[in-house]
Amino acid sequence: MGSRASTLLREEEIEEIKKETGFSHSQITRLYSRFTSLDKGENGTLSREDFQRIPELAINPLGDRIINAFFPEAEDQVNFRGFMRTLAHFRPIEDNDKSKNVAVSEPLNSRTNKLLFAFRLYDLDRDDKISRDELLQVLRMMVGVNISDEQLGSIADRTIQEADTNGDNSISFSEFIKVLEKVDVEQKMSIRFLH
Amino acid sequence: MGVDIGLEFEGDEDEVSTFQEEHERERHRAKISDGDRERRKRGNGRRKRASRAEEWEGESQARPERRERGRRKRTRSDQEAKGSDRDEEVQPKTKSGKSAKTRKHIKNEKTRKMEEEEGEGEERHAKRKKKHGSAKKEEREEDGGKRTAKEKAQEVKRKKHKKVVETSSEPSEEDDNDEEDNEEREVRPESLSSEELEKLKEAVDERKKLIQTLRGKPWPMKKKCVTLRESQEFVEKYEGALGKGKGRKLYAYKVMMNKKWMKFQRDFENFKTACIPWEMKIKEIESHFGSSVASYFIFLRWMYGINMILFCLTFGLVMVPEALMGRPYGTIPRKTVPRPEATSAMDFAVLWDFGGYAQYSVLFYGYYNNQRAIGWLKFRMPLSYFLVGVGTVAYSYMVVIRTMARNANESGVGDDNSFNFNWKTFTSWDYLIGNPEMADNKFASITTSFKEAILEEQESRKDDNIHLTRFLRVLANFLVLCCLAGSGYLIYFVVRRSQKFALDGLDNHTWWERNEVNMVMSLLGMFCPMLFDVISALENYHPRVALQWQLGRIFALFLGNLYTFIIALMDEINLKREEEQIIKFNITMWEASLYNGTVSVNSTAPAITIQPADVPRGPCWETMVGQEFVRLIISDTMTTYITLLIGDFLRAVLVRFLNYCWCWDLEAGFPSYSEFDVSGNVLGLIFNQGMIWMGAFYAPCLPALNVLRLHVSMYLQCWAVMCCNVPQERVFKASGSNNFYMAMLLVILFLSTLPAIYTIVTIPPSFDCGPFSGKKRMFDVIQETLESDFPAWFGKVFSYASNPGLVLPFILLMVLAIYYLQSTSKSYKEANVELKKKLQTQNEENKKKKKLAALKAQMDLEEARKASSQTAKQQKNSNASQQDQESDEEEDHSSSQRLHHGKNGRHAPPPVREQEGQLPATRAPVPRSYQHEHHGAPGYLPGFPRQSEPRMHRVPSLQRH
Repeated sequence: MGSRASTLLREEEIEEIKKETGFSHSQITRLYSRFTSLDKGENGTLSREDFQRIPELAINPLGDRIINAFFPEAEDQVNFRGFMRTLAHFRPIEDNDKSKNVAVSEPLNSRTNKLLFAFRLYDLDRDDKISRDELLQVLRMMVGVNISDEQLGSIADRTIQEADTNGDNSISFSEFIKVLEKVDVEQKMSIRFLH
Repeated sequence: MGVDIGLEFEGDEDEVSTFQEEHERERHRAKISDGDRERRKRGNGRRKRASRAEEWEGESQARPERRERGRRKRTRSDQEAKGSDRDEEVQPKTKSGKSAKTRKHIKNEKTRKMEEEEGEGEERHAKRKKKHGSAKKEEREEDGGKRTAKEKAQEVKRKKHKKVVETSSEPSEEDDNDEEDNEEREVRPESLSSEELEKLKEAVDERKKLIQTLRGKPWPMKKKCVTLRESQEFVEKYEGALGKGKGRKLYAYKVMMNKKWMKFQRDFENFKTACIPWEMKIKEIESHFGSSVASYFIFLRWMYGINMILFCLTFGLVMVPEALMGRPYGTIPRKTVPRPEATSAMDFAVLWDFGGYAQYSVLFYGYYNNQRAIGWLKFRMPLSYFLVGVGTVAYSYMVVIRTMARNANESGVGDDNSFNFNWKTFTSWDYLIGNPEMADNKFASITTSFKEAILEEQESRKDDNIHLTRFLRVLANFLVLCCLAGSGYLIYFVVRRSQKFALDGLDNHTWWERNEVNMVMSLLGMFCPMLFDVISALENYHPRVALQWQLGRIFALFLGNLYTFIIALMDEINLKREEEQIIKFNITMWEASLYNGTVSVNSTAPAITIQPADVPRGPCWETMVGQEFVRLIISDTMTTYITLLIGDFLRAVLVRFLNYCWCWDLEAGFPSYSEFDVSGNVLGLIFNQGMIWMGAFYAPCLPALNVLRLHVSMYLQCWAVMCCNVPQERVFKASGSNNFYMAMLLVILFLSTLPAIYTIVTIPPSFDCGPFSGKKRMFDVIQETLESDFPAWFGKVFSYASNPGLVLPFILLMVLAIYYLQSTSKSYKEANVELKKKLQTQNEENKKKKKLAALKAQMDLEEARKASSQTAKQQKNSNASQQDQESDEEEDHSSSQRLHHGKNGRHAPPPVREQEGQLPATRAPVPRSYQHEHHGAPGYLPGFPRQSEPRMHRVPSLQRH
């Protein structure tokens, strides 16, 4: 019975997740089944290897960074709560969300939080700045070996130069927001979760 | 109730199942009593219902405990009876089609009913099923006690409402069902808040979902199977249950149609994209070779479209009518192979040269008869022939100019790309890609686009010695001019010589002297482009501009080719016409002798015995011209394909496989793989098209041949590019519009229509072949039609309209209009450029200002801190940051390893690993961090290394609200 209690989703848990992430009940149960199907170790948590079995992530040059985003600092496992918390960033923004949750706190799927999630993908050392080296590493992941080092360096320089407004040779989060001002982040960083 | 839920989770199965039964019963009872009351109240107005809902709510909230106590005492038979009762109720509902989930309000109540039924069914079965029911139960209870009560109340009310619907037989009542429903929906928020309503809706809906997602549950397989079957039945019922009564049906139908329409539209969009021919191929090439190579293929595709239409015109209006309705082969001399040629008319060599049967067929001008109207349709063949010839040219002009105008419009609108690189870096990957092949393409296209962007960037900020560049460019142009002049003179010289040789008689000369012109032409065509390529390296242009220069120069060279060809053709036409004169004279003599002979031998029998094959005939210079063009096209096509196979494919194969046993690295060294020659291919295509335009009048089969050729070369070249070429070293972004190609095409079109029109207008047609035989000029066919097919006044109007006094002012007016439009468009363009510049400078100024301000603020902060901070503290900080860096590096290593792990089985990883392995060594994060410290970058305060993090997050969010 004990094992069952741990694998089954508890009502209170659902409630809490609901409050925290804004997913509907059905979405949570659906995602839970996905979670359990990903969980090959069947211990209620996902490891990095579990994530890497997803083909989209395995192919993605930034897949590793995305997977990293699921894991809190210095941990190798993520439970369902953490899984949902990360996924909540990709919930589409609905109209009633704003009206409802203004008083409480900013929902996880707000534009800023979506951008923050993206920003963290590039901010490898979590110092809230994308430095030139971080950019270089990410670019290297994205283009493979087809571009020489100095060319890549010039891309990174140019990227920073474009975005940098305070002259510290790195991209801060506010600068990142400014850069992607015209990009439809709300739409691009949304996944249509099934109801 | 809340306690019950807890029990449910911790307690054993039996308890759960009983609990569930209880729940079911509770529902049934609620329904029964409700139904009773409802029956009583049915006569009353519907208005009351809303208020009653509230009343019910209160009541039901008080009810649960009571129910719980009484629940166990109820007998099962009672339930069963009720269940069967309800089964009947539900049956009619299943009829209506599976319909939209959007109508959750209506559906939900039904869902609930179904669930209950299922539950009842289950109760009769084994315990296993009860477990499944309990799963559902868990769901049902999720909202907590209070809400369940409300839910029930809601449900009860709804059922009531439905009963009304079911029992009412009058159509009028059915009709205002919907109305009522709406009303109810509007009213409900008073009794239940929208949030609760939402949750209620979900709760009901989720039950279904849970059944579907049972796969993830840790249950035995048997149970899962049963559950699955049940769920399928359930879904069937559920889907069918929607919609009852006319209005509802209509609404459901509307919703369904709407959805279907949306889906259809989406599919249609996909279909449209799939219908664009070769789109995928071109995209793939673009991702690997850049937009310049892709621009060639797009141009080729466009050309194919044009030729398709030309082909349809000539095929549908000229060739098919003549073949179907004209006189069949062998009836008249022009449609028969002459006797001396008849023996070899079917030989392949002859046919390959388009002689023999091919020459005397619909493929060429000479076959057509000058009969005014043919067949039962009275199809005006000569007129049609003439109009198609003119229409072909007119259509081509129209299309080319329209495309150019459209492209010019497109290129005028520039987008804001001040964050070009950032966008490329941060947003280029498509996160939905799950297919390795697609991922490869995406990698390639990202790389290519980066390369293109780098090149643009390099070119835009290149500031070398301007004087040197200018000098070199002038020098290069001078050299090229010399080359062109030299080759032009060479061609002129050779052509003159060949004319002299021709007058002497070709038999007296050697092979070289006979083929001198062709050899010189092809040698020039081969080596001059290379020379130009070398010279253009001096100029130091942006590759896009360089390509245009290259194209222009080769174009000028090829014009020489065209010129010689036309001269040779003209000479031949003149020769043939002289021959024709002689033959014409001979024929009159022959006919006279024939007539005289027959008269003398037998006065009664006329000379019908002469076969059409035996009749002497003129040389028919039009067919000759057509044949020349067809041969030219064929040989050109062959040359292209063969050079492609040898120059690209064979070379690639040799380089690839000989590389294993060769002294030096063939792939990196001398021969290497070939690049795709954009300029040569584009020019080939353009000149080929010029030939088509020139020759199409005399050989109606030319467009068909060209369509075939373009089709084949599309596939062949796509394949060749992907398999044997390597991307150019300097991949550059071609302008999407390709107006330069179009401009060249326009020039060629003009140049090629000139001789065609000249021959049509000035040279009289042959006397015994073609649709215009017997006329003085080809365009007389228009006059003839006007005279005989149109009323007299029309001809008069036409003659007035073509009066020079009317035409000249009209042309003048048009020129003036063109001038006016031209000047206005120019001024608009200038204004546009000015505005763009202004915007850009403003942007840059803003950026600079901000930077300065930020720098100043930093300095201030720095000074303040310096004054206050202690040396000991600083020491500590530096230690801390160093540790930070170290830990970061460790993280990097591990993350890169993980990346490889994820990418197993693909070829990319090993080189990446190499690179990644080097990266941490080459990069120097430690000094950078110190730099930060010294400059006091914002967000990384030395005093509190971690404090900055939350602040940075919060700033934007505060701004937002």
